[in-house]
Amino acid sequence: MPDATDVVDLPGLPAEQEAAPARRGGATGALGRWLGLGFAPGLAAVVLLAAWEVWVRARDVQEYLLPPPSAVAQALADEPMRYIDASRLSLTAAMGGLLIASAGAFALAVVMAHSRPLERALYPPALMLKVTPIVAIYPLFTIWFGFGIWPKMLIAALITFFPMLVNAVIGLRSVDPQAYDFMRSLDASRWQVFWRLRLPSSLPYVFAALRISVPLSLIGAVVAEFLSGTSGMGQLILIANGDFDTPALFGAVVVLAALGVTLTGAVSYLERRVLTWHESSRGV
Amino acid sequence: MTVTTAAVEVRGLTHRYDSGRETLLALDGVNLDVGEGEFVSLVGPSGCGKTTLLRAVAGLLQPSTGSVGVLGTTPDDARARRVLGLVTQDPGLLPWRSVVANVRLPLEVTGASADVDALLRRVGIERFAGYYPRQLSGGMRQRVALARALAHGPRLLLMDEPFGALDELSREAMRVELLRLWERERISVLFVTHSIREAVLLSDRVVVMSGTPGRVVDEVPVDLGRPRTPALEETAAFAALVSRVRAGLGGQPW
Ligand SMILES: Nc1ncnc2c1ncn2[C@@H]1O[C@H](COP(=O)(O)OP(=O)(O)OP(=O)(O)O)[C@@H](O)[C@H]1O
Ligand SMILES: [Mg+2]
Repeated sequence: MPDATDVVDLPGLPAEQEAAPARRGGATGALGRWLGLGFAPGLAAVVLLAAWEVWVRARDVQEYLLPPPSAVAQALADEPMRYIDASRLSLTAAMGGLLIASAGAFALAVVMAHSRPLERALYPPALMLKVTPIVAIYPLFTIWFGFGIWPKMLIAALITFFPMLVNAVIGLRSVDPQAYDFMRSLDASRWQVFWRLRLPSSLPYVFAALRISVPLSLIGAVVAEFLSGTSGMGQLILIANGDFDTPALFGAVVVLAALGVTLTGAVSYLERRVLTWHESSRGV
Repeated sequence: MTVTTAAVEVRGLTHRYDSGRETLLALDGVNLDVGEGEFVSLVGPSGCGKTTLLRAVAGLLQPSTGSVGVLGTTPDDARARRVLGLVTQDPGLLPWRSVVANVRLPLEVTGASADVDALLRRVGIERFAGYYPRQLSGGMRQRVALARALAHGPRLLLMDEPFGALDELSREAMRVELLRLWERERISVLFVTHSIREAVLLSDRVVVMSGTPGRVVDEVPVDLGRPRTPALEETAAFAALVSRVRAGLGGQPW
């Protein structure tokens, strides 16, 4: 299960409250860190873009085949609202779907984590949902829900449901047996065990699931828009493609990449704030 | 002994672990008593069923056969009355809670109230109240576990090799502090350990167990008087008791 193993490599960044400076410095030092984190990749990007621009101009490559970066920038600058409106729709579908799926999957995981028979009963249908190519389901959704935002949201939800379910079940079960024994020796209720032990224990797994599902939800939303051709970035791409408007196509890719990076960064930031206690925030 | 209700009364306890096809007889007809206010140690080789026995006493494990009485009632009832204090083999602290918050956990669960600051002072960790478990040394964590086990005012303290992970110096310090605490509280203690000397130094009685299946092979009353000090370890009486316990263990060289 890739979803579960992903848990192991939670990104390690030192927590704020931690007495981390000693660990942070190391052999590379502040300059090395600055070079590594921001400067070097930025420089690499600039060089790459410049080379691209020069090459396209020098070889006189047709714009519909490969536009120079300047043309892509121009396309974005000419009609910013076109991209902003489209990404707002895509983002709504993706985040709405992610929210529905995460809440639903976590609730189901709570039930499954408390009962092996229920887990055995519910796992096969959930797995079937996972292995079904969702693209095949989309026409059904348009029949049932029309062409508005709902079917797109549901596709995003379907694609993100399973990673959250699997990780949350594992997380809710991953309680420290000694801590559990201690709480039971006090005759703690299921409810107390849930709030004070299970839920916090599951959070590292929940965040691991979110880091998988956030980009997935964007894929789901854009694919659904692409299939219906009625709204969002998916539609924008479809139209640009029909017009041979390659700079706009590149523009859409740039915007989607930026959205993905921003959202993933937001999850990581939240994770570091919430999981200061976890090994993952200790930089090991 | 002038015991009215025994703190622990185990009769003919047998426990069999079933895992698929294999079954393992972990405990075989164990009898064990801890009087009210008594300090009893349980020594035995690794895997002889000490943790199993302790968990049965705490009502965390339903034994296959035999009876367990705790403070005049059943283990489950004792749990419900919140009279048990448990220190597990690994401390099992909640990593997302600070030291104080960990010690407050039993108060939140039981609704009891206690002076947490005084409790932290008593086990010597008041300066670390705001620390998180991962920022503490092993010995500090065991102190937190001890404070947590005592917070709700239990009448029976069950400790499973609480000092097992500590170096000899910390162990010695912790023994002294545990004795000091126990002499104040006068609660009943069932203390599991690998160390014969530790068992003799701390206890009123040492119960010696032998390996798979776990059986009680000897019971050694420790008539050394109190308070106990580390200096006692140099006396002939102490050495004699240690030899007797070691003989019960079959002379294994620890
Ligand atoms: N949940 C379990 N399922 C199956 N067998 C178990 C289980 N727990 C313990 N055992 C077995 O029962 C025996 C007694 O285990 P127990 O943990 O009670 O020993 P112990 O005396 O506490 O050992 P140690 O000193 O190493 O902690 C061991 O052989 C162990 O392998
Ligand atoms: Mg044990």
